[in-house]
Amino acid sequence: MQKIEAVIQPSKLDAVKDALVELGILGITIFEVRGHGRQKGHTEFYRGREYAVDLLPKIKLELFVTDETAEKAIQAIITAARTGRIGDGKIFVSKIDEAIRIRNDERGEIAL
Amino acid sequence: MQIPCGNDNQKADGLGVRATDDKITNDETMRAEYERRMVGICRDFEGDGDGLVAIAVRTALVDELVGRLWAAEMDADSSLAKGIVVVAVGGYGRGHLFPYSDIDLLFCAEKGEAEAAKDAIRRVSQALWDCGMRVSPGTRKLAECERFSAENAEFGLSLLDRRLVAGDVTVFSKLEEKVRGKLMVRDAKAIRTELAALTRERHAKYGDTLFHLEPNVKDCPGGLRDANVCGWLRLLQVSPDAEGEEFEEAVAFLASTRCFLHYRHERDDNALDWRAQDAAAEQGIGLVGRRKPGGVDAAYWMRVYFRHARVVERCLLHEFEANGLAPAPVGLRRIKLAGSSGFRLKDGHLMLDAAGESDPAAEPEIVLALFAAMAATGARLAAESEQRIANAVPRLSANLEEGPGLWRALCEILCGERAGAALRAMHALGLLELILPEFHGIDALVIRDAYHRYTVDEHTFVVIDTLHGLETDAGPDAPEWRVKFRSMLRELQSPGLLYLAALLHDTGKGRVGGDHALESVGLAKSVLARLEMDAYDSALVLRLIAIHLEMSAALRRDIFDADTVRGFAGRVQTHELLRMLTLFTYADIQAVHPDALTPWKAENLWRLSMNTATQLDRNVDEERVHARGKDERIVRVLELLRGREAEAERFVEGFPERYLKTRPPEAIVQHFEMTTRFEAEPFQISFQYGAAMSEITLVTVDRPRLFSGMAAALAAWGMNVVTADAYANQAGVVVDSFRFTDTFRTLELNVSERERFVESVRDLLAGRASVEKMLSGRRRGKRKTPRVSVVTKIDFDETASSHSTLLQVVAQDVPGLLRAMSVTLSALGHNVEVALVDTEGETAIDVFYLTHGGQKLDGDQENELLRELLEAIEENAR
Repeated sequence: MQKIEAVIQPSKLDAVKDALVELGILGITIFEVRGHGRQKGHTEFYRGREYAVDLLPKIKLELFVTDETAEKAIQAIITAARTGRIGDGKIFVSKIDEAIRIRNDERGEIAL
Repeated sequence: MQIPCGNDNQKADGLGVRATDDKITNDETMRAEYERRMVGICRDFEGDGDGLVAIAVRTALVDELVGRLWAAEMDADSSLAKGIVVVAVGGYGRGHLFPYSDIDLLFCAEKGEAEAAKDAIRRVSQALWDCGMRVSPGTRKLAECERFSAENAEFGLSLLDRRLVAGDVTVFSKLEEKVRGKLMVRDAKAIRTELAALTRERHAKYGDTLFHLEPNVKDCPGGLRDANVCGWLRLLQVSPDAEGEEFEEAVAFLASTRCFLHYRHERDDNALDWRAQDAAAEQGIGLVGRRKPGGVDAAYWMRVYFRHARVVERCLLHEFEANGLAPAPVGLRRIKLAGSSGFRLKDGHLMLDAAGESDPAAEPEIVLALFAAMAATGARLAAESEQRIANAVPRLSANLEEGPGLWRALCEILCGERAGAALRAMHALGLLELILPEFHGIDALVIRDAYHRYTVDEHTFVVIDTLHGLETDAGPDAPEWRVKFRSMLRELQSPGLLYLAALLHDTGKGRVGGDHALESVGLAKSVLARLEMDAYDSALVLRLIAIHLEMSAALRRDIFDADTVRGFAGRVQTHELLRMLTLFTYADIQAVHPDALTPWKAENLWRLSMNTATQLDRNVDEERVHARGKDERIVRVLELLRGREAEAERFVEGFPERYLKTRPPEAIVQHFEMTTRFEAEPFQISFQYGAAMSEITLVTVDRPRLFSGMAAALAAWGMNVVTADAYANQAGVVVDSFRFTDTFRTLELNVSERERFVESVRDLLAGRASVEKMLSGRRRGKRKTPRVSVVTKIDFDETASSHSTLLQVVAQDVPGLLRAMSVTLSALGHNVEVALVDTEGETAIDVFYLTHGGQKLDGDQENELLRELLEAIEENAR
């Protein structure tokens, strides 16, 4: 089992969601986040007033998948979220030791 | 004295129950009887739909079974006949046992008898549970029933609806004495206070509104629980008044609906979801003559539901007020009312003058002024005045005059900080629909999507509440983004237009099919025509309604992407509309449900607005009209000028697209027609007077000092320019428009001066009058100390246009500023290719696209201009 965390452009959320649903992945947690990576922030002017755009709006997805599905999910996210420009985001993958369904104590991949 | 138990026949045929060793068999028998008779109640309800009868019959059935069970216990143990009584309390005590309601039983003992009876109590409760009833038994001594405790308010309240079911009637008499003589007298105030607190807490859970898309018929405001609260408050009064027929009808409707929901959900679930709404409408639940084949439309049925819920809510408010429980209106403002206003403000209530002195039906202006005072102060409408207005509404239309007067009155209501409350009150009385029949289509309208929480009309009022909330909820803990939106609200030139657009933006949802924004535009057009609003204001309101969803849609795209911003800016076109749309979008999202506007979304909205504002200033000069492209707007202009298409094409060719997009085709045609009269008069001027804002437009052939001449002429007349723009086409025809306020009310108080004003501008442009002479005679008003001090900031941008230099000046908005700047530009020989003049509150933000000798400005020229402008602005401000 693997945990996939992806930070993407908000405008790509629908496309990524659709791509994951197409793979049969229905359980996704979505967070509205702000931050910056290499894209960094910058200063802009609004009608004579200066303001800092240091933390940019992003969407963070979190999903837990079987080892078998993980690569397909990663590819689906990449394909749907990529524009080729700075700020497209990142994907982080980590191993999960156990998953437990609270309702009936099912364990392992069946609980995903 | 004992309560008679079930009759002998029942016992003989095995329906009676005794606490004996054949308990199981007998319990099963009782269960079978209970189920059979419950099926009968259900069948009767399906037949006549009478919820009040159904709950009364179930109550009687349960009374009978409890009576029999307790009688059997007494038969088995005669000591139970004295000192203990079985009392129905809560909903059961009221006789309101809905099909799946819990059964609240109180075993009340005179002293310690309950301890000895605990096995009997357990057996009775068990038997009822085994029958399929959800019993909540409680055991108390008499002494425990005479005090109300806020910690156990539920028990104290349940005692208000006590009813003898079985057992020792003398104990019940003593209970009556305790409750009536002590609890309801000594603790009446504490009970009322607790009731009010519990009610407010429950209402807050439902957003303090009854207009939910899927209301809970028991707990929502206007639901059965509120009806109960009314009943309890009346019980606690010394001389209780009945609520009246309307209230009784509402309770009957709600009771039938709750019965229906219980049967439908097969449990105590009172949520009126969409499917239940459809089914209830199909069966005509609660309606007179419900057997209509096919039932009624669900939207109609829900309107009936909301009408009844409103009655209950209003009765509750009156009960609260009568008992001194209504919270003082938050932030009640003081206003000064003229002696002859026709109403007065007393103790937080607005009331019409005595019936002999004023007739609301004959004096609609008094009624509207009263609601404006309500919106301004947050005061409530006194019950007697409310009733008089309700009675007057059918006759009011005969005396209601439309036109600017009505708009002024409506605008005053809309701009009051408590406009939402005033509009809701007007809506409930039918007054809002009288003024705006277009609102009727969304009255209590349920739109079925999983996103919205309220009915369309309530959503509309919440939008208006949310906008005013930017000012009224401006505590020190307000998030940063709210502070930003608040300053944007303060920058609006005519906030009334934003509120009007908000009021009308979803009226199109009342029409079947089609794009609701466009349907709303169609309805708004008729409203604006009746209010006789000027063309500029009308265009702004209509445009805002037409694109009211577009900013939300743009937020779903990449708001930092240049194409997204350019595309969105192309839809908005002006700063004023952008500000209005930003604020509207903020309020519209917030009004969907309380958690819809996350700080993340609010921040993105603000950023999109800023990016768009920058885009609006930077791209005007580059995006020019090409008539051969046959843009939709050009096609409409050409249609209006059929037979002269070639000349019309030459006219529009080369204007910035902004010109075409910010003017209706009729205005462009008017400008074109003005060009055909150049031979007779080279300086064509159109002037439109407006009480709030006037507009003057010059159409002529480009020449030096035109823009500065206009600015000087306006300054000389004491006019304060709020917005202006200047555009030129490829053939060198310029269209300069200025919208301004009349500082000294010269044109308002002297109608004959309007013509002289236009002539004077023309004379100045033609060189027949001297700018200096006019300015020397200028009246100079006393400068007010600005609320916000704005530091002058001047920027140049050589990249915004391929052939001109962009100059942006941000400065304190003071009269004469535009003249001072434009004269400086002229004096240095710079040509204004495009001008965009805007005012945000006390900040003037003026953008000029300049050329010098047909070229961009070089570094030296920019430095020189910077120095001269700073000096001129400073000089003008003195």
